[in-house]
Amino acid sequence: MPQLLLTRPALDSTPMSDVAGTGDDSTVEIERELDAIDDAAVGDAPVRAGKRSSLPPAQLRSLFEEQAIPFMDQLYAAAMRMTRNPADAGDLVQETYAKAYAAFAQFEQGTNLKAWLYRILTNTFINGYRKNQRQPYQNAIDDLEDYQLGSAESLTQGRSTRSAEAEAIDHLPDSDVKEALQSIPEDFRLAVYLADVEGFSYQEIADIMRTPVGTVMSRLHRGRRLLRDLLADYARDRGFAVTATPPRSTK
Amino acid sequence: MTDCGCDKAKEELEEYLHRELSAEDFRDVTDHLENCADCTTEHLVGITMTLKMQRACQEKAPDDLKASVLAMLSNA
Repeated sequence: MPQLLLTRPALDSTPMSDVAGTGDDSTVEIERELDAIDDAAVGDAPVRAGKRSSLPPAQLRSLFEEQAIPFMDQLYAAAMRMTRNPADAGDLVQETYAKAYAAFAQFEQGTNLKAWLYRILTNTFINGYRKNQRQPYQNAIDDLEDYQLGSAESLTQGRSTRSAEAEAIDHLPDSDVKEALQSIPEDFRLAVYLADVEGFSYQEIADIMRTPVGTVMSRLHRGRRLLRDLLADYARDRGFAVTATPPRSTK
Repeated sequence: MTDCGCDKAKEELEEYLHRELSAEDFRDVTDHLENCADCTTEHLVGITMTLKMQRACQEKAPDDLKASVLAMLSNA
């Protein structure tokens, strides 16, 4: 039974602009983002009142540099899979760091900083970038029945076929894998990315994506299934044997 | 011996892969995999996909991005 964030302390009165001058003008937007950041700051860790940092700005900054900056390659990689292009990925990471820094005094030391940063990243992406490239079929896809997503090859294939499949997947170039991942619906892609590439737990993903754990599981399941079918297609296109009939090509 | 059989194993392989099973279920599936070549190869496909994604998705943030994030901190 997923329980998402039962308690949430009142927002600290630190205006974001004091720290990082993010300069958003829509109050609704700011509220929503602060909300997200506040949620993220609380996370699923036990909430202990008065535990938030009251370090002087210079120390807070060096702490941030030391703790948060090392995640930049990872955040950028995630942003690349989200936005699918380097320019937007760079902007998204920059904005994520601006928000994270502005809220860093509220981050409780000792809790999961990586999950906190990913939550801000994901929220920023969903609230900002996704608006511009909205996928109209997104919600419809969540509602599809399993059988409508195509057959799971795994259920009907024999063992030898599947070891050929594993080998074929293993031989695919990285570009195919990235392309396949980028072509599955966004919510599925995020769930798969967060679980498989980043190794977040289902509960952490639920907190990051703000959905129940059951939804995370269903998106993961469907996302991986779509991905597997796509990878099999790529492998076939490259002449790798993914069906029971040899021979497999060289390469 | 707590082998859970193919049906349960296949159903739980994804949670198994993601380490989301209870200790008991984890043990059941592990026991089953030891004796079932069919489910083991199915599991192999799952692991291969995960490892492949992990390798393929490595990126390095561009230097100018790093520089501009650090600059933002100094100007804050």
